[in-house]
Amino acid sequence: MKKVFTVIGILLTLANFVCAAEELFFFCGAAVAVPMREIIKNYEKETGVKVNVIYGGSGTLLSQMELTKRGDVYLCGSPDYIKIGEDRGLLIPGTDKIISYLVPAILVPKENPNNIQKLEDLSKKGLRIGIGNPETVCLGLYGIELLDYNNLLEKVLPNVVVFAKSCEDTATVCVLKKVDAIIGWDVFESWNPKDVAWIKIDKKKIPRLAYIPIAIPVFVKNRKRAENFISYVLSPKNGGKIFKKWGYIFDVNKAKKYAPEAKIGGEYKLPEKYFNFIKK
Amino acid sequence: MKNKIFKIFLWAFLISLVLFFLALIFGLFHQLKITSVQKQFAAGEIFFAIKLTLLTATVSSVIALIFAVPIAYILSRYNFPLKNIVNSILYLPIVISPIALGAMLLIFFNTPAGKFFEAYIFRVVFEVPAIILAQFIVIIGLAISLVKSVFDYINPEYELISRTLGATHSQTFFHILLPTAKKGILSAFLLVWARAVGEFGATVTLAGATTMKTETMPVAIFLSFASCDIYNAIILMLISLFIGIAVLYGIHVYAENRKPQL
Repeated sequence: MKKVFTVIGILLTLANFVCAAEELFFFCGAAVAVPMREIIKNYEKETGVKVNVIYGGSGTLLSQMELTKRGDVYLCGSPDYIKIGEDRGLLIPGTDKIISYLVPAILVPKENPNNIQKLEDLSKKGLRIGIGNPETVCLGLYGIELLDYNNLLEKVLPNVVVFAKSCEDTATVCVLKKVDAIIGWDVFESWNPKDVAWIKIDKKKIPRLAYIPIAIPVFVKNRKRAENFISYVLSPKNGGKIFKKWGYIFDVNKAKKYAPEAKIGGEYKLPEKYFNFIKK
Repeated sequence: MKNKIFKIFLWAFLISLVLFFLALIFGLFHQLKITSVQKQFAAGEIFFAIKLTLLTATVSSVIALIFAVPIAYILSRYNFPLKNIVNSILYLPIVISPIALGAMLLIFFNTPAGKFFEAYIFRVVFEVPAIILAQFIVIIGLAISLVKSVFDYINPEYELISRTLGATHSQTFFHILLPTAKKGILSAFLLVWARAVGEFGATVTLAGATTMKTETMPVAIFLSFASCDIYNAIILMLISLFIGIAVLYGIHVYAENRKPQL
């Protein structure tokens, strides 16, 4: 009887090893779910490696990785989460690579009923503005920085009627016309070309561009396999082609056209005046 | 001997489930010990979230019962054409996921009727009434179902006797049926209130996650978790657990004390 259990144990261990040899645990930001589904499908077909993908918000995914102690590849919505991940010892420092660039933008319902043309227009009395929650959604943080940089924070915040819980939710409130404008990413227009219009912000008024990074968690089981997957995603003829198809900016020079003087990545801390406002 | 085994069998279920829940709570304390503090505990924000959650859950539960009692009475006592279809519609919120219900509400407020309501009556979307409406929609099916079960267990003979003694329909309803069903309705209220306190999906879709405005306890837990602030998320979960257990325990003790002494 003991022998039978030993054999079963060995078989299970082997089965687990064989499965693990062909698998990747990929924690992927939900904001890029659409192109990633296509890329993963192609990658699995070409390499035979099964990609177990978990979609979610960038911070939620970090929390899940911390609690489950697993993950081979991590993709998030902005570099801020790479810093959090590295500081918390969840990501291997220096493994992050840039997939695509994001330009802060004003998005309005397609017909632009309030004729919003520039950043200053967001302070018009009676407008209803939506942003991501600045304390948890990177898009919200970039929105506050954008307003703060242009001395519009105190003027626009009274018009902000909703903090959305994610990038996708911020886009949705605009698609459903529940707000007059949102501060979002350029790519939102490609997500919903029939419903929203991208109002370009004056090049000099954008202080920082964001980017979508991909990195390797400390829990990686097979680093070579993880690196291989990342190379596939970054390759212009594989992942790059699909990201471009969905409207993402893959080239830094193209991103710079929208904001030549803007920093790329880096940090921004919410100012005291923001906290004073929300406590009112 | 057989009876003893049967009894042990019954208790095994109860004990294993209680132990499992205790293990979940213990897991929170264990994680709290090994997780580092990310940011300072914002007491003002938490107090706001608790107050908002308790207030909105109470208002939505009261409104749900105001609707559930007459509806459940009709479903329990009358037969009418298309009753099964009406039943199915009323119980829809039980089977549809809260996030879908929230999205349905958000879409409704984009229709001419919804826009008219918001323009001429009062604003709902992204405001506190959105939380109450979202909670109401999520709990109403459950409220109707629970109250109907209470009415189903009350023998209609009592009402018939009351009517034959000269009481009007409304007198019978308010003075015979409702007092008899009081305890069951209180239990129903407790359950739907508890469900409303924990509501997240519909609320966050319709009301957003605006700090210090529409941030209920479940939303605050989500926001902490979404910013990888596990420490504060656990603190919030423990506060929610404490409130939940305190309220449930208090009401159980109250119900025990009100049992008729034999």
